[in-house]
Amino acid sequence: MPAARPIILALVLAVLGGCATELPAAGVARGEVLYLNCTQCHGDDGGGSTLVHAPAIAGLPQWYIEDQVTNFQTGWRGAHEDDVEGLKMRPMSRTIKSAADVKLVAEYVAGLPAKKAEPTVHGDVAKGQAAYAVCSACHGVDGTGNETMKAPPLTQVQDWYVVKQLSKFKAGVRGYEPLDTTAATMKGISGGIADEAAMRDLAAYIQTLPL
Amino acid sequence: MIESFILQASSYASQIDALIWLIVIITGVWFFAAEGIFFWLLWRFRARPGGAPARYIDDHEEHVLKYKWIEIPHRLILVCDVVLIIGAITVWSDIKLSMPATDETVRITAQQWAWTFQHVGPDGQMDTEDDIVSIDEMHIQVGKTYKFELMAKDVLHSFSVPVFRLKQDAIPGRVITGWFQPTITGEFDVQCAEICGIGHGIMPARLYVETPEAHAAWLANPTHYLAYKF
Repeated sequence: MPAARPIILALVLAVLGGCATELPAAGVARGEVLYLNCTQCHGDDGGGSTLVHAPAIAGLPQWYIEDQVTNFQTGWRGAHEDDVEGLKMRPMSRTIKSAADVKLVAEYVAGLPAKKAEPTVHGDVAKGQAAYAVCSACHGVDGTGNETMKAPPLTQVQDWYVVKQLSKFKAGVRGYEPLDTTAATMKGISGGIADEAAMRDLAAYIQTLPL
Repeated sequence: MIESFILQASSYASQIDALIWLIVIITGVWFFAAEGIFFWLLWRFRARPGGAPARYIDDHEEHVLKYKWIEIPHRLILVCDVVLIIGAITVWSDIKLSMPATDETVRITAQQWAWTFQHVGPDGQMDTEDDIVSIDEMHIQVGKTYKFELMAKDVLHSFSVPVFRLKQDAIPGRVITGWFQPTITGEFDVQCAEICGIGHGIMPARLYVETPEAHAAWLANPTHYLAYKF
């Protein structure tokens, strides 16, 4: 059957080719390989997607990403029935199977260059600036965050994401777990924001802060 | 035999299994009969030195052969079809078309990629203050008959509980009702059985079928989401 050999070989290769997934190049860090799972929503560059409501995560501090992935895993975040986006992230976070891997993927994302997102929210910047005085206590006057206070930087997040998260905190859809004291603080603070218009003002001001 | 692989945990699981067996046996008999005849013909009329040459047959012979090999099996298959249809419609009517008197309602909402279960609280009424909402875990009491209201927030999903032999599509914009009666206690899988996006394969939930005492204890101190440990 020598004539059949090339045909059999071609069939075997076709089947194997169909089974193969995209293999990382030699020497690629494990964090980058793990991040492949996140690219579907957060994008190759970590820039996020307005379409699927995925925030920009590139360049966020490693400690913040680790905290949030862990919160999604434990259910401190994303386990509220009205948190549609959080409930998507919850099972995805659980695909990272160890604390060491969470650290590695967070390290990779933290290393991605942060970019300023395009503005999408219309709000009163002056009103937002005045209201931001409260936020600056933890997030800093320049919005660069404060690790000691567990406050992430805000300068690279999308404005629509700011509005959405403030709404979630205010409604108790995020920050519902009393043991999560950081989120509980934010829930309390956002309770003082009058309405969505005030949230848009804040987001419009935060959008003006440079990276 | 199916129950030795997947438990039968609902009142109608054995009925579904019986239907599966009916289909397997009837189609299996015909499958092996057809393959057996096929291979027998291959062997019977194989090329042999000095064998009888092929020849044309006359109309009468053709008619006899067609009757024997096509007409008779065809009629027998039609009889089997009728048996299968009667079996399937009976099961469909018992499980899908009729709703027995139910004791309680549970509301099930699917979304990418989670299940939300709204249970009635101690007052036994849905949509009251004491309702208990939980993510990815459903708590029910053994022996009670439940009506479920199934919804989807975004895309098509399918609520599948293998031990109940229950699988029901969830369609955005519609409230689909159905029922089940758990017959044994235990912790079982719930899965999504309709491709619903990249997280479809990681959209499981847990079903807890509890004794009345254990269920009362859960109602008194409910869990709202499944904790996760590495």
